[in-house]
Amino acid sequence: MKRIFIFALAAFIFSSCDSNDDASDVAPVTNSKTSITFDARVGSADFALNKDFTIGSRTYNFSKLRYWVSNVTLVDAKGAEYLVPNSYYLMEEVGDLNLSGTIADKLTYPARKRETIEVEDIPAGEYKSIKFSIGVDARHNDNLSLADGELTIANGMSNIAWMWHTSYIFTSVGGTVKEGTTGGDFTAETGLNANYKTVSLDFTTPVNFATTKGVVLNLDVTRIVDGIDLIKTPKVNAAQATIMSALANNYGTKALSFSAISK
Amino acid sequence: MKNLAFHIAGLSFVLAACHDNPKVEPGSQPYQFEVPANFPAPLENRENPMTKEGIALGRLLFYDVRLSGNNKISCASCHEPKLAFSDGKALGNAGVSGTTLHRHAPALINLAWAGNGLFWDGGSTNLESQAFGPLTAADEMHQDLFELVDELNAVPDYVTRFKVAFNEKITSQSVVKALAQFQRSLVSASSRYDKYRRNEPGGNLSPQELIGWQLVQEKCQGCHAGELFTDHDYHNNGIDADFSNDALEGIFQGRFRVTYKTADIGRFKTPTLRNIALTAPYMHDGRFESLEDVLDHYSEEIKTSPTLDLKLPEKGLKLKEEEKKAIITFLKTLTDQEFITNPEFSRP
Ligand code: HEC
Ligand code: HEC
Repeated sequence: MKRIFIFALAAFIFSSCDSNDDASDVAPVTNSKTSITFDARVGSADFALNKDFTIGSRTYNFSKLRYWVSNVTLVDAKGAEYLVPNSYYLMEEVGDLNLSGTIADKLTYPARKRETIEVEDIPAGEYKSIKFSIGVDARHNDNLSLADGELTIANGMSNIAWMWHTSYIFTSVGGTVKEGTTGGDFTAETGLNANYKTVSLDFTTPVNFATTKGVVLNLDVTRIVDGIDLIKTPKVNAAQATIMSALANNYGTKALSFSAISK
Repeated sequence: MKNLAFHIAGLSFVLAACHDNPKVEPGSQPYQFEVPANFPAPLENRENPMTKEGIALGRLLFYDVRLSGNNKISCASCHEPKLAFSDGKALGNAGVSGTTLHRHAPALINLAWAGNGLFWDGGSTNLESQAFGPLTAADEMHQDLFELVDELNAVPDYVTRFKVAFNEKITSQSVVKALAQFQRSLVSASSRYDKYRRNEPGGNLSPQELIGWQLVQEKCQGCHAGELFTDHDYHNNGIDADFSNDALEGIFQGRFRVTYKTADIGRFKTPTLRNIALTAPYMHDGRFESLEDVLDHYSEEIKTSPTLDLKLPEKGLKLKEEEKKAIITFLKTLTDQEFITNPEFSRP
């Protein structure tokens, strides 16, 4: 029997919790909603799967780009913060994934492109910046039974392999990389609490979510792989601690930038 | 294809629930965790507060073969109460695949204090996350987590019990929470040694046992520390000289496979010495059959390597025969009959 996943449930995620009170120190007047888009790019081009991209002297062809975004926080002009409750999102662009043998004998995770998250109940005000983290915070990373937000061990972004780091995979990018005749498949992953990175991005002008449709951020894959030699080290994971932390730093310090406000 | 909607609803893998609150679910009764007078405080446990119903459910699950893919194996197949929840084998092969495991099944004792990683190398952070390991591993229970939820849902008593204990439908997350609650309730603190420490009736130690205790404090409790007889830390106790075999994702390299720090090569977690007379064979691969073998090791057979713990002299502890005997006599006072026969812990 084949099992397939459905994402319709995401809609329920916000309904069961009302921890806004302690999560926010901005007084709510009229709440608004917005969408936040993490637009995956390869330099100036739009990111796509199964398409050749030249980065430096190398040709990349990606089969997946997946990462957890957590604890999304909007910061208003006075510095007060609104932490979006239960904000754990899996952002991704991925083809059909065969996850058989992980948590089920037969399991297919269907192809999916997800770049946008919807945020509701934002207290009225002028916001100047957004903060979020790439990865999963230690509390949730250390306890796979806390199913907050979209956190799950059922989508291949966690590690429950027998006796090895039961925790989430924070980011995963894979495909092929070639330079002339050398190169081949690669999978570059990050994880572990030390590699949980918080990113803070300023908006160019203050944003009032009552009158804007959304915020667009860019994730530039050329900067994710910057300085990481994926021909020499085609598998980056916890066993390559130094390279993995460099990769996590790339996500934390240079891959993400503010792009635009959509009206 | 089976009814998909049913699976999704039953699983609620994606569905969020708020567990920020340490309050127990309505309808369930908080469990009064009794800290033995000679013990330190247990770990704070805010995420999964223990309830009578949660523990009782965890106990049912621990002994239930439905948790395995072939419906023949339960957690207790490798963690038997009469052996202080170990299996008596060096390397077991009770798993669904029948293949021999690469590590020895440890006893499950006083896990409510185990705050520095589980497994011989600390690869798992808590009992909740840990349980997903044996549940899904092909060499262990090889369970399909979707089928697990289906199978449990087919038992009305389980549906009711999950509702009462966790106020939710059966999910794989609540399965591991219940298992964790039961395992945290496995407290062993009624050995003759404990009664001696607490001045309770029956708490007498013989002169030889007292000499053994003295020696254990001097020679062993640097690592097998305190009343729990473990520091929950990782040490190289000199059972091997060479850790260069990095096969099976570094399974023979100890803590190193988790931290990738060279200082952790060959370090394994200090096991408790409680109930040690019941939990032979010994060490992470069960290489020593008896306590006599273990004492011979510490006394004469220490193997040197760069990470050998400084508390152990390179040439061994050089114990006299009567000292070894005294130590073993003392270690036997750590056997807790009440623990292994406790009706609350036994097969329901
Ligand atoms: C086929 C045998 C087998 C089965 C079945 C099994 N275990 Fe284990 N268990 C082991 C082995 C072997 C280890 C040690 C693995 C290691 O450390 O690398 C272990 C380790 C553990 C530990 C870590 C203890 C410590 O002190 O670090 C816990 C907790 C545990 N098992 C609980 C369970 C639970 C709960 C189940 C049922 C869901 C279960 N086990 C099923 C063999 C088994
Ligand atoms: C330097 C720290 C250290 C000292 C000192 C030490 N041990 Fe250990 N002991 C360990 C570690 C670590 C293990 C597990 C090693 C492994 O499995 O690879 C262990 C394992 C054992 C085991 C096997 C337990 C089991 O469940 O398999 C026994 C028994 C034991 N030690 C007894 C003693 C005695 C008795 C002494 C004193 C004579 C002693 N130890 C001194 C660290 C130490």
